[in-house]
Amino acid sequence: MQMEINGKTMTAPNKFRDVALLDFIRDFAGLKGTKFGCGAGLCGACTVHIDGKAARSCQLSVADAVGRRVTTIEGLAATAPTGELHPLQEIWIQVAVPQCGYCQPGQIMTAAALLNHNPDPSDTEIRAEMSGNLCRCGTYPRIRQAVAQAAKESKNASNL
Amino acid sequence: MPATSDSTTLSRRSFLIRSGWLAVGVTTLSSCTLVRSIVPTLPSIDDPELENGLSWVQALPDGRVRFFCPRMEMGQGAPLGLGQVVAEELNLDQTDIECVLPNTSQTPPFKMTVGSEGIASFFDPVSYGAAHLREALRNLAATKTGLPADQIQDGKGGFVLPDGSELGYARVVPSEPLILPVSGAPASGETVPRYTVQCRGKYQAIGRNWRHHELQAIVTGETVYSRDVTLPGMLYGQIVRPPAFGARLQSADGRVAEAMADVAAVVIDTANDFVGVVTGDPFILSESIAAIDLRWELPKGPDQDQIDATLDVEQLRAEDDFEHMLAADGSVEAGRDNARHRVAARYDTPFAAHAAMEPRASVAWVKNDKVEVWCGSQDPFFVQRRVAKAIGREEGDVVVHPHRMGGGFGGRIPCRASEEAALLSAEVSRPVRVQWDREAEFQCNYFQPGFSHFIDAGVTPEGTISHWEHEFVSAPIMTGPMPEDIAWVVDQVMADEGTARGGLPRYRMANRRIRYSDIRTAVPVGAWRGLGSAPNTFAIESMIDELAIAAGIDALEFRLRILPPTDEILIGVLHRVAETSEWSVPTLPDTGRGIACAVYKDETAVAIVAEVRIDHAARQLQVSNIWCAQDCGLVVNPRQVEAQIVGNVIWGCSMALKERISFEAGATVQSNFDSYEILRNHEAPEVNVALVSRPDTAPAAVGESAFAPVPAAIANAVFAATGHRARRLPMHYDSIYSDANG
Repeated sequence: MQMEINGKTMTAPNKFRDVALLDFIRDFAGLKGTKFGCGAGLCGACTVHIDGKAARSCQLSVADAVGRRVTTIEGLAATAPTGELHPLQEIWIQVAVPQCGYCQPGQIMTAAALLNHNPDPSDTEIRAEMSGNLCRCGTYPRIRQAVAQAAKESKNASNL
Repeated sequence: MPATSDSTTLSRRSFLIRSGWLAVGVTTLSSCTLVRSIVPTLPSIDDPELENGLSWVQALPDGRVRFFCPRMEMGQGAPLGLGQVVAEELNLDQTDIECVLPNTSQTPPFKMTVGSEGIASFFDPVSYGAAHLREALRNLAATKTGLPADQIQDGKGGFVLPDGSELGYARVVPSEPLILPVSGAPASGETVPRYTVQCRGKYQAIGRNWRHHELQAIVTGETVYSRDVTLPGMLYGQIVRPPAFGARLQSADGRVAEAMADVAAVVIDTANDFVGVVTGDPFILSESIAAIDLRWELPKGPDQDQIDATLDVEQLRAEDDFEHMLAADGSVEAGRDNARHRVAARYDTPFAAHAAMEPRASVAWVKNDKVEVWCGSQDPFFVQRRVAKAIGREEGDVVVHPHRMGGGFGGRIPCRASEEAALLSAEVSRPVRVQWDREAEFQCNYFQPGFSHFIDAGVTPEGTISHWEHEFVSAPIMTGPMPEDIAWVVDQVMADEGTARGGLPRYRMANRRIRYSDIRTAVPVGAWRGLGSAPNTFAIESMIDELAIAAGIDALEFRLRILPPTDEILIGVLHRVAETSEWSVPTLPDTGRGIACAVYKDETAVAIVAEVRIDHAARQLQVSNIWCAQDCGLVVNPRQVEAQIVGNVIWGCSMALKERISFEAGATVQSNFDSYEILRNHEAPEVNVALVSRPDTAPAAVGESAFAPVPAAIANAVFAATGHRARRLPMHYDSIYSDANG
């Protein structure tokens, strides 16, 4: 079984077919940035991109990802055109979004997928799209601020 | 001159050898090394002393300063703010500070990270330690240059000599570890200037919006939470979770599991209700656990209706049976006779869970000579003691390496995953990882207890409070996790302060009687953000609103009228929030505003205005806006304080609108985020924060101060919008119309 994780081909032994993709990413691929929060697709902490779209890795199996392109938080920056960090990661730091930080990789992955398919979302769209990612520290207002700012900056850049 | 005794020097030196470099000598460690041998393993509760600060700062040979932060990090950012304190005293930039969460061998024990004390209680000892380090370095510079110390001026990252040349700390710190003498014993009064105290208004680091040094690691996924710890040769453990509180293991047959490939051990300790497996493959844990044949003896209950019957304020009122008197002034009966408007009402808040985003985890490695534990805990020294006890080792053999926590909120004072990992590691002599899943977080931790209040109060013809009779019942919170064998003694002699927190209103009340009971039930309870403050404030501030409405007085005006004029901090935030929220401007139809206020721990004043919109078509209520004004004295990092306030507000909305845990046959009915809902992004209001800054005062509590008035402000806003009074949390669109009797 083969898949691409962050641009590298990863071969998974067949016996891991039914293992949750999240567990595989963390404990086989050793990428710990994708977090376990609920194991039931309810909190969004485990969000990754499958072929550029946000997906809950705790609800997928290794077999589901075969032949697909998986991006985790560790590989997000490389999907951006330039820079050491993805623009969302830069803005997340600038706005100082994280408190405990545990949910933030999932938040950023959801936000990145949102901006991929909707580069100029309204506040209502940001709220709706981000509603699947729980944060117990209460960073929601700063998350909305950061996503809106990223959209604005990318729009300004493309208008230059 | 040095006041260091031989024994403490030895003790101090032992920490130094393990951990670092140049440090200032300590005068006494007695208060923090005292081992409580006569009582069971308890959390670390000693407040910090000024001289404890000497253990937390070290100058490094490269001129930087290592700061062993005595507060654990769970998102509140205390290490950031305390780092700014260190920087202020030592004239450093943020990059000159290496902030470390110390392991238990690197510093003497310090108090658990609780109670919004991170800056409020540790500002002084941290600044004391850093100031002493600076002056010790100055003396060293004097020796090195042959100049008198008073001619050596402060410079960025070091000193400036009379000829204008710079002498950075790097050139002062020797190449060999060294303990410098402390100038002036604490007992003789302070002799070392503290810039954080004496230079108010001229700060270089304090008051700036420094960003946490871990932000980049967090957003790239590199931060290592306890769940992410991996060691070479590590095995994987899982514990069987008892199906109910108080369930007793009758028998367990692990033979099938033992025979499975890659199962390293099946550990069964029937006497302690402990069953666990250790595997070499993390993906077969559930399967191997499922292969163990278990027989449990289940307790009868507790069920929610039994708990509700125990914590029923009206039942206790009928029996006139309250254990503790919080206040008794004047005559409630005489006051009642003078009431023009009288309101009596019951308010209830439910049991609640912490629901931190990171389910706890730990790696333990039990070796012959040493035990190492990696975990996230609000009290690593408590974990050290509990692990030592669990596996029968000396405390000194156990080293706990603390990690940033994915949320704490009072729920991570012990970390049972560490004890479980240690018990399993002891069997296999390899490092073992134990991770709780979400269901374990909901079932196996302790809870915020439910509260049941009854308030009978009134307003005089002059518009003041005629009488205030408040009775409430809940469970003991601070002593909640006390071991059973001493709990009954504690309950006899102690009135739980955590349960009563926030129970004394600041308003003028000539005739008042406030009584409560803290009754232990079969449900484990313990610290949850703010302890009793939010449930108690919900009842008090709802009733104040009811009285204002009964008397036909504006809710803000009424509060200002009944507060003593000396209560400047609360009056100040009320005025401020009235401005920011434009309180006097009327609202649109199906929209309402409510106000509430409180002072947390007698130090931080908070006023909240909530705006609620009712969507009848969708049968929903939305908290659209919250305005908060807070006075928490000196603000070390405004952006971080604002983040904490917003977090508090969101938490308060979640408590008001969402959260309730209930019990059936000793198990939680809710086991994940589908049934235990917390506020989601689309439901979170816009939050406007105004800091009422008083830079000439000491910093006060922030981490859990702003949320106590939020549920009452929302309930008051709902009343303004609908004419219905929500007296039972959580409130929903439907419950407002069905519960309400107002």
